[in-house]
Amino acid sequence: MTISSSSAGHFRWQRVRSLLISPSAIVLAVLIGSALLAPVLTPYDPITPFPGSRLQSPSAAHWFGTDPLGMDVFTRVLYATRIDLSVAVASVVLGILVGAPLGALAGYTRGWMDGVLMRLTEIMQAFPQILFAMTVFAAVGSSVQNLVLVLGFFNVPVYLRMVRSSALPLRESEFVLAARCSGHSTLSLVIKHILPNTLVPIFSQFSLSIAYAIQMIAGLSFIGLGVQVPEAEWGSMINLGAGYVIFGKWWPAFFPGMAAFVASYALNGFGRRLKGFWVA
Amino acid sequence: MRGIIQRTAWYLLKRLGAVLLVLFGISSVTFLVTRVLGNPVYLLVGHQQSPEIMDNMIQRMGLHRPLHEQYLGYLWSVLHGDLGISRYTFRPVVDDIALRLPATLELVLFAMALIILVGIPLGILAAVRRGSWWDHSVQAIAQLGASVPNFWFGLLLIFFLFFLLPAFPPPLGRLDDPGQAPPAFTGLLLVDSLLAGSFRSFISALWHLILPGLTLAAGAAPATIKITRDTLIQILTSDYIRTPLAYGVDRRTVYFRYALKNALVPVTTVLAMTMGFLMSGTVLVETVFSWPGLGLYAVTAMNHFDYEPIIAVVLISAVFYAGAYLIADVLHFMIDPRLRVL
Repeated sequence: MTISSSSAGHFRWQRVRSLLISPSAIVLAVLIGSALLAPVLTPYDPITPFPGSRLQSPSAAHWFGTDPLGMDVFTRVLYATRIDLSVAVASVVLGILVGAPLGALAGYTRGWMDGVLMRLTEIMQAFPQILFAMTVFAAVGSSVQNLVLVLGFFNVPVYLRMVRSSALPLRESEFVLAARCSGHSTLSLVIKHILPNTLVPIFSQFSLSIAYAIQMIAGLSFIGLGVQVPEAEWGSMINLGAGYVIFGKWWPAFFPGMAAFVASYALNGFGRRLKGFWVA
Repeated sequence: MRGIIQRTAWYLLKRLGAVLLVLFGISSVTFLVTRVLGNPVYLLVGHQQSPEIMDNMIQRMGLHRPLHEQYLGYLWSVLHGDLGISRYTFRPVVDDIALRLPATLELVLFAMALIILVGIPLGILAAVRRGSWWDHSVQAIAQLGASVPNFWFGLLLIFFLFFLLPAFPPPLGRLDDPGQAPPAFTGLLLVDSLLAGSFRSFISALWHLILPGLTLAAGAAPATIKITRDTLIQILTSDYIRTPLAYGVDRRTVYFRYALKNALVPVTTVLAMTMGFLMSGTVLVETVFSWPGLGLYAVTAMNHFDYEPIIAVVLISAVFYAGAYLIADVLHFMIDPRLRVL
């Protein structure tokens, strides 16, 4: 017995290690590390325009060139990682915090609430997301805080449905019946017994949702919503450089987009690995 | 026979009801967002105006009335096709939309055609040859595509295929010269120019359409390819395919008679979903290519603090999205005999 459990533990550890040294995990670590170390890695300031050095092509002094306001693109790409990743993580966490409990409740009780929540999520998923975000920003103004709220709102139906579908079979399981017989209220049962058993799919989806959120943030900032221009953010940087692409000045738009692409590719790859990790 | 007609009618009514419910929900949410979360007056006059101007504005826009009255008024005018007046074009929003809808439709339909002609076959290829070199490369492309910010991909296309290698026209609108525009019948330039027999404007319109269409299709294709592949693999590994194959029934018969029919239902659902992706993605693509459609209209309106066009575009997109789902439902009913019996 002891032998088998220790070998299982060993097996687990090997798999954790292979997850952590996977290419996508390493890329993510480099991205996060360079964002944190940005002030050490680059001498430039991310938000001070230098009209004297506008649109210089990539060189030894400016690795990624300078943008139309004369700011160093490499510096801004590094600093932008901070805001992009934190807004993405915050919005997904918000979506989980709202969606998961509601989903567990809906899946466990199966009553009228389930029906109402399912119809609501259908309506939310039928919404053209970018247009909906535009409506909200037109009404309440555009700020980073509102960006987190809107993206969090988009994540709610995703987690609501996912947790609901893994809560459904738990309803009839023995440990839930036992807990019900021993007098747990519905609420404490859902929190103590249903929700913990739906964590695996939530964790697997987490990284995929962040990748999606990064692309949404970039897209919304590109049309001027959420993060405003002097602030360093990948989408608003692309917006700043987009008009110069047709004149062959590719660097101010290329590098921030490349960063968003690499981040979201690594997150998607990591998410796929994570799914396999829990399932196998 | 009568039973079948009744069941058909009942099924279609139920689906129509569901679609109307979704549309009602969407219009209610947009109303609540603009009137309850925010105050339209602030958007128009800014925060530093005197209370008199604010009150005046509130009276004029009818915002002093109780919320439910405003809501009924809003539903009433939307149902009568009154979507307000744009504050920067000074024209009724409905007219503005009628002018721009064909441009968006042409772009979306072109992207849809690309997805049907290229994306779906790639998904089928990957599923039929699963585990092969084909499958792996199709999957790798789909994974790359799913991580590329769509509008940025459009900028790359512009750089490579307009600046470096000038194969395509500049990303400014739908024709080389607006004077080339054929007389409008459908508003779709490809169709109108053929109707007018003007080959030159057909080529010009097509050439302008390719890059934005490709960008839009590239954004939606990865999801379409992945879902097509996954559902098809599920079908191909099921018992009703394996058994006839094991009995030695001709492969072609098995694939075309059994697999294809069963694949039609999920694939039509995928296409309806794709329609939703495209309607949403067109906002960014139109901005990148200065394509004079609904998306660019909404973005421009937003930059002018004009919210009524945005609401209108949301509603129109939702109608198209819901319409696509309704068509998919009708097709399911025609394809799947089980729906007709139950």
